[in-house]
Amino acid sequence: MTKPAPRGSPLVVSDALSDALVVARILDGDGEAFGIIIRRYEPGLLRFATRMLGSTDAAADAVAESLVRAYRHLAQCRDPEHLKSWLYRITGNRCRSHIGRRHMADVSLDDAPPVADPADTWAALERSEQVALVDRALAALQPEKREAFVLKHVEGMSYEEMAEVTGARIPTLKMRVHRARAALLVALKELV
Amino acid sequence: MTVLDPRLQEALDGERDPASLPDGLREAYTRLTGVAELLREPPAVSVADRVMAQIRREASVPVVSPAGAARRLARWFARPRAVTLRLRPAWTLALAAALAAVVLVPFREGVTPGAEEGIAQFVGHFPGARSVEVVGSFNDWRRGALALRDEDNDGIWHGAVVLPAGQHEYMFVVDGERWVADPLAGRYVDDGFGAGRQNALLIVRP
Repeated sequence: MTKPAPRGSPLVVSDALSDALVVARILDGDGEAFGIIIRRYEPGLLRFATRMLGSTDAAADAVAESLVRAYRHLAQCRDPEHLKSWLYRITGNRCRSHIGRRHMADVSLDDAPPVADPADTWAALERSEQVALVDRALAALQPEKREAFVLKHVEGMSYEEMAEVTGARIPTLKMRVHRARAALLVALKELV
Repeated sequence: MTVLDPRLQEALDGERDPASLPDGLREAYTRLTGVAELLREPPAVSVADRVMAQIRREASVPVVSPAGAARRLARWFARPRAVTLRLRPAWTLALAAALAAVVLVPFREGVTPGAEEGIAQFVGHFPGARSVEVVGSFNDWRRGALALRDEDNDGIWHGAVVLPAGQHEYMFVVDGERWVADPLAGRYVDDGFGAGRQNALLIVRP
């Protein structure tokens, strides 16, 4: 969980900097400024990787590896104004190689029902069951369709941004999203 | 394979007002947007500390409060970098500039690379370009280290540099923003960041 910066911290000011300026600072030797990048993009990257891999632990590993790799190769980011797409591309790549190394049948989908906590409300439990159901339906999709659906509908990207992230053409991405929607509708008939 | 009604796809792509959908399609629209909303649940973990710890470890520099100029310089030196020639190319480029007025390929005449070095020459055809530079693994992909020249404004940009023998990846950066793999490189390698982009590959022989 990202921690809010304390009031008056210079980081609050830094967070107003554009990605390109933060990248320039890092390349100038201020490695600590990479923390700004992490705060900006970690939640989305973790959510993306979690939906791609079906496991929070695997997603955390993939995102951590991707961020370290991004830091090491930051000078190779050709367009720092599009840093977000670059980070998603690295993370997506890492997720794909992770998926390639193991069969989806081996994927932990975190599908064990959540342990009931007396403090949980019925609505919260129902919601976590719904999330587990949706996660399973998503995991049943082919990785490229899953990726397209998550980038479009979970991360809220435009098709242009998705093309930057995946390297696929926009018509191809539209087709993947359309097919993913159709498959999810069939799989989740029961879900309200 | 179920095919969804194109009107539903348009509404989900933001190209149609969902209120204009007939009841059956509106229900499917609500279901799919509900699915997306469930998946937007924020992650309950953070890797920030782990990543920053790794970065600091690699930098081998203790975490300090904002550094003064000397400490900043020390950190700059301590930061791991690709193998680069920071001094020699500067000297050889200076020599090249001095020789350029006399001979077309200055390095052959005036500079003797070390036993484990060679001269890399870069040529690119970029008519109308205002600037062309070379970035690569040999200069840590940093801009401003190796600018090409086009003295007669014919669109042919060239430059040379002494590099360590071995393989180097590189790209041209045209007008400060457009990255172009050298079309004459002959060899290319994936840039390692997906999306099928490639860097040009240069092999320097001693």
